[in-house]
Amino acid sequence: MSQENMSNDNVESPTEDPTDDDMLLETDVTSGLEEGTQGSRTTHERTIVEAKDVNVWYNQDQALRDITMQVPENKVTAMIGPSGCGKSTFLRCINRMNDMIDAARVEGELYLGEKNVYDDDVDPVALRRRVGMVFQKPNPFPKSIYDNVAYGLNIQDIGGDHDAIVEESLKRAALWDEVKDQLDESGLDLSGGQQQRLCIARAIAPDPEVILMDEPASALDPVATSKIEDLIDELAEDYTVIIVTHNMQQAARISDKTAVFLTGGELVEFGDTKKIFENPDNERVEDYITGKFG
Amino acid sequence: MATEDRRSYADGFGQVSRTVGIIFRYLLLAATLFGIAVLAILLVYVANDAIQPLTADAGWHLTFFLTLVLPSLATGGYLAWSNVDGLKLGAMTLGLFVVGLLFSGGVAIIFLEVLPPLVWFAYVIAFAVPVAVTVGLQQRSRQIPFVSRFALATLAFYLSLFGFPGIVGSYAELPQLIPSVATLILFAPIVPLDWIQLTLTVGVFAATPVALYASAISDRRTGLIAGAAALATVAASAVVGPAVVGVGPIPSVVLASVAVLPTAAYVCGTAVTREQARIGLVLPVVIVAGALAGEVLVDTLGYAGPQSWVDWQFLTSDHSGTAANAGLYPAIAGSILLMLTVAALSFPIGVGAALYLEEYAPDNRYTRFIDVNISNLAGVPSVVYGLLGLGLFVTRLGQSTGTILVGGATLALLILPIVIISSREAIRSVPSEMRQASYGMGATRWQTMKNVVLPRAFPGILTGTILALGRAIGETAPLIMIGAPNVLYSFPSELSSKVSAMPLQVYSWASYFATNDFYEKAVPAGVVVLVTVLLAMNSIAIVLRNRYQRET
Ligand SMILES: Nc1ncnc2c1ncn2[C@@H]1O[C@H](COP(=O)(O)OP(=O)(O)O)[C@@H](O)[C@H]1O
Ligand SMILES: [Mg+2]
Repeated sequence: MSQENMSNDNVESPTEDPTDDDMLLETDVTSGLEEGTQGSRTTHERTIVEAKDVNVWYNQDQALRDITMQVPENKVTAMIGPSGCGKSTFLRCINRMNDMIDAARVEGELYLGEKNVYDDDVDPVALRRRVGMVFQKPNPFPKSIYDNVAYGLNIQDIGGDHDAIVEESLKRAALWDEVKDQLDESGLDLSGGQQQRLCIARAIAPDPEVILMDEPASALDPVATSKIEDLIDELAEDYTVIIVTHNMQQAARISDKTAVFLTGGELVEFGDTKKIFENPDNERVEDYITGKFG
Repeated sequence: MATEDRRSYADGFGQVSRTVGIIFRYLLLAATLFGIAVLAILLVYVANDAIQPLTADAGWHLTFFLTLVLPSLATGGYLAWSNVDGLKLGAMTLGLFVVGLLFSGGVAIIFLEVLPPLVWFAYVIAFAVPVAVTVGLQQRSRQIPFVSRFALATLAFYLSLFGFPGIVGSYAELPQLIPSVATLILFAPIVPLDWIQLTLTVGVFAATPVALYASAISDRRTGLIAGAAALATVAASAVVGPAVVGVGPIPSVVLASVAVLPTAAYVCGTAVTREQARIGLVLPVVIVAGALAGEVLVDTLGYAGPQSWVDWQFLTSDHSGTAANAGLYPAIAGSILLMLTVAALSFPIGVGAALYLEEYAPDNRYTRFIDVNISNLAGVPSVVYGLLGLGLFVTRLGQSTGTILVGGATLALLILPIVIISSREAIRSVPSEMRQASYGMGATRWQTMKNVVLPRAFPGILTGTILALGRAIGETAPLIMIGAPNVLYSFPSELSSKVSAMPLQVYSWASYFATNDFYEKAVPAGVVVLVTVLLAMNSIAIVLRNRYQRET
């Protein structure tokens, strides 16, 4: 299957209803492939992130080519591929973190809900307040655990009971029991796995719509990794999670959808995880997954 | 083949020559030792001239050797052998107290000579009121939009400091309708005694960190108690000081706030948090007790001490034509005032420029051009800055020569490139992951800077600035260029009064007044004081830097 097949043939016209405050695009992302193989899952999924012909250059070097894909809401979408194929670059397109890189240039359309985030009137800072991000290396601030989690609440001027929100976020990040007696201590005193869960708590505290994770477990030991994986599974009940990983088993374990990028910045195949790992259409994907290269 | 190889290893692996490496290593060691030895000899030589330990009676030396040196060495040696952490703690306590003493001297000079406590008190209150208003507004940040909050805060500051219509009105020659908070206090019919004013200001400034420290170790309640106790100590010192030790109430309050409180807080804090190291507190006790015991013994036995030139008289009298009466007081005060001016000018400008260049400036040709030039400016000889100061401030702006303002501004220009470079270094050392994390949360550049970059870079910025100030305090050439008087017989008390500084005073003793006495005694004494002040400043920078490195 070539990627043209995956371009969205059946997008319904965006709901113009102003009361739809979620601003989500109701679409049927079940293209041919899924209809054929996974009948049970061809229910109408809501697309929350949609890329249309996204191209990215770093100076003269093209890092992403014509990426077109639709990320369903409240699902875990994994992006796999050999290193340097542009997974992180794509992730950074979604919350426009690429704007920080002087050399980067993005073309194409990328919708969050029904809004193209590359429209001129989009404030990237406001956008990032609706998209949480977790990085490869745990990066808590040198502040107390409490202040780390409350960071988003403070800078985004979110009112309400901060204590309650902090507690709730830490519980969701499966960290509360370990740190509830040391909220005043520095986030840097935690172990690597705890730090990463703290970062996840920090990301979900302001209640974003989408959470981006860039190889969140690659710096962690197996035990910490499996904790993070369990956590991602639970998060998908309330959030849309887009996770980059170069660990294929991990992608297979935790994701509902998988996007395979290959060298040169192409999105070679995108579909249900099960299908990708059991019966990929593309030969190069098959080679990659069976470990022939990459 | 492989077995053959393995067999040949049986004879050993052979030798690789390291002769050149070893020679190189010892050459490096020799260079290091040479440098250190020369420096040490120089310092000993100067200190010998200044303090003249050999003029003391043998009995004096023996007494102090027995009461002070021997017990201290024994305690120190025991600690070094059994509990290195304890030794560090003891040394740190002692160092903190000594540095605190030096600084309280400086602060006391300011309140005694330059800044009447009432003026200080009035302006502190006049600042505190609008700050409280601003904080109050900040808490209601959700109800009131930023622009009105900003306007209200500005208005509060203006009213409190200048009244209405204030300085703007005085240009239009409007009568003053509402007096400012500062004037209200300055012209109040009854004001608290000067030591109460200082207790309420300096004392509170010193007690607040004590309270915060205590509540960080323990809980809020302990913090409050500790803060109250600290304030009570300061207030009590104003009564105890004059009655018992014979120090006036103002220096007593300053001494308690700047030297006693921080040391006491550190001692109590570490005694609670670092139980194994606690034993190290014996060291300062032994040293202080030894010094006191020695003093008493020497007094009763009638042994004469050394005829040191660095004595109370030297530190507190003005310059005089005869070396024996000459003192460094105006120069010490001048150096302090210059330092304050330099810090006030170079810190905001330097840190501001560094922040702009690191965080905002686009990476283009102009920025790189500026970069290169800042580095070059850091290497320009100081005499050139003196010339610049003369041309800019005196000739162009019509200031009179040799004032604190002109001197401070010139020295500020001199260290500005260093402040900028070291601040940029500190800002750049904030890991980019921290910034990424903040931006990823939807923080603006300003929020990222305020919440993440600055708190993290601040110790580094402070360290760099203090070291740069250390350079400014030792400069002579720029001061000569801007026409600072070589010697000062009286005290500089305003920004527009003539100022001398320690290195300039020493220089003039060594040149214009070069009688033997001046040359051999007063100059070394001046150098010893200058170096002591420098070391005190740098020690703060070093402590800060060590703390900072431990945290990263
Ligand atoms: N900041 C950058 N500046 C220039 N080139 C970059 C930058 N970041 C990534 N690239 C290039 O873009 C390509 C994709 O990188 P990346 O998105 O990090 O890949 P992945 O996350 O899949 O390993 C690589 O060739 C990389 O060299
Ligand atoms: Mg990557």
